[in-house]
Amino acid sequence: MANFFIILFGELQRMKRYNIVTASTVVALLWIGVLYLTEIPDITFIFPLLIYIDVTSMAILMVGVTIFYEKQEGSLHTMLVTPISKQDYLLSKSTVTVLSSVITLVILYLYAMIFKEIDLNFAGLLGAVILVALFHSLVGFLLTYSSRDFTALLINMMKYMFVLMLPVLLEYIRIIDHQLVENILYIAPTKAAMILLYASTGDAELWEIIYGLSYLVIGSAVLFVLALRKFEQFAVRESGV
Amino acid sequence: MFQVNNLTYRYPRNPENTLKGVSFDIKQGEIFGLLGPSGVGKSTTQKIMVKLLTAYQGEIYYRNKELREFDREYYQEIGVGFEVPVHFSKLTAEENINFFKKLYRNQAHTDAMMQRLGIYEDRKKKVDEFSKGMKVRLNFVRAVLNRPAVLFLDEPTIGLDPANARIIKTMIKEFRKYGGTVLLSTHLMNDVDELCDRVAFMADGQIAEIDTPKNLKIKHGEKKLEVEYAEGETTKNASFDLETLSRNENFFNLVRTRQVISMHSQETTLDDIFIKITGVEKHG
Ligand SMILES: Nc1ncnc2c1ncn2[C@@H]1O[C@H](COP(=O)(O)OP(=O)(O)OP(=O)(O)O)[C@@H](O)[C@H]1O
Ligand SMILES: [Mg+2]
Repeated sequence: MANFFIILFGELQRMKRYNIVTASTVVALLWIGVLYLTEIPDITFIFPLLIYIDVTSMAILMVGVTIFYEKQEGSLHTMLVTPISKQDYLLSKSTVTVLSSVITLVILYLYAMIFKEIDLNFAGLLGAVILVALFHSLVGFLLTYSSRDFTALLINMMKYMFVLMLPVLLEYIRIIDHQLVENILYIAPTKAAMILLYASTGDAELWEIIYGLSYLVIGSAVLFVLALRKFEQFAVRESGV
Repeated sequence: MFQVNNLTYRYPRNPENTLKGVSFDIKQGEIFGLLGPSGVGKSTTQKIMVKLLTAYQGEIYYRNKELREFDREYYQEIGVGFEVPVHFSKLTAEENINFFKKLYRNQAHTDAMMQRLGIYEDRKKKVDEFSKGMKVRLNFVRAVLNRPAVLFLDEPTIGLDPANARIIKTMIKEFRKYGGTVLLSTHLMNDVDELCDRVAFMADGQIAEIDTPKNLKIKHGEKKLEVEYAEGETTKNASFDLETLSRNENFFNLVRTRQVISMHSQETTLDDIFIKITGVEKHG
């Protein structure tokens, strides 16, 4: 556990030095721009959508960027021969990712409160963001393992977005409006994510919230175990220079 | 310290075994050289011994316990020096060293080491602003910052100027003096000659020969005396076996009757032995 905090602190320090903090601040500003340009004063129903796009994509990206950077500069090599356990390694990256999503959320929420009208349960939204970011950081590990380089990761991420993220988004902005499709989308983790994010506006049945929570909690557990298992394989591949 | 028995390893994507039954042992407090042509499997052997590759066949005992039974605690006791750059490039040297140091129970005086290696002044520079040789020196500090019992070194002096190479070699010898064990892999035979207590030559995925550098020279070497002498307008060469020199009439005839220009005793070098044992001209 002592190691976990050392690694976490190191991870945070590098987030700053490698300009990842800057990058995610820029993205947050971009979202603020979007909110600013929105004509509607009450943004309660747009807000979870923005958060949905930000959290799912940024979480995957952040894990991927840092791992590929570590791989390229060789620091991953060194970490593999230290007492750092793979659990600590994965968890510290996930924690930082979650933290970054939370910061973006807070910035956007503050902006919305001050300059717009918004009426949602912040604590509920915060919980949803934490869970969705955690889940997608783990998705990030698995996508990174199966990508040869950063470009390949971007392509894999695009696939994830087109197959799982976009349809749910289209459903929520009513471009997809078909009961069968909506029902099928319940198998997508992104639907579970969207339900939980929207629950903060009061727009979800109890059973839906239970479904969303169980999906992401159990899903995260399963992905974590997978990410741990496959880490070995990934490390072996990476240790062959 | 280590007993390696019949180690076999195949990379997942390779059709053939890279290691085909490697066996050797390393005693506590010795510097053990692992030598052989490029691509023979030296780094692979090291990677298995530092638990980077785990799907090996055969056994490796460290302090009489199989390596597979060790968890991450193993890394408290070993230090690994890589040939390639291995630091966080956008952090300073000091930040790198401090980050890694915190992971260990035993911590070396890294400031003193950096001073000795001439990188202390640059400790607040980002590592990606370091020169190649500076990175190599920093790698060495990284390898020993936990005061390990065993040190794995892959080409520790490559790319260094002679003065810095000397400092690192002195530090390796000091490490041994205080009971440290070293597995050294290098292509620089002078380093081997100077540092190694014993060496193993690898060829074709196996150990071809293990002995002390001195014994290898005795075994494979012929000590010769090369004589250069004048004969009329031209110079000629003759070569005599050193061991039987006192009984060699030809030699005495030559020195009596000819004008000798130069005489050198010639020792077999580890270079010669390398080529002889592994059957390959060495690369790198
Ligand atoms: N990750 C990998 N995947 C597949 N094959 C590999 C991998 N790493 C190394 N090899 C192969 O294993 C063999 C041994 O490689 P290794 O790096 O152990 O050689 P080496 O003796 O250290 O050489 P050098 O002196 O050049 O460092 C080589 O044929 C190499 O191509
Ligand atoms: Mg090698």
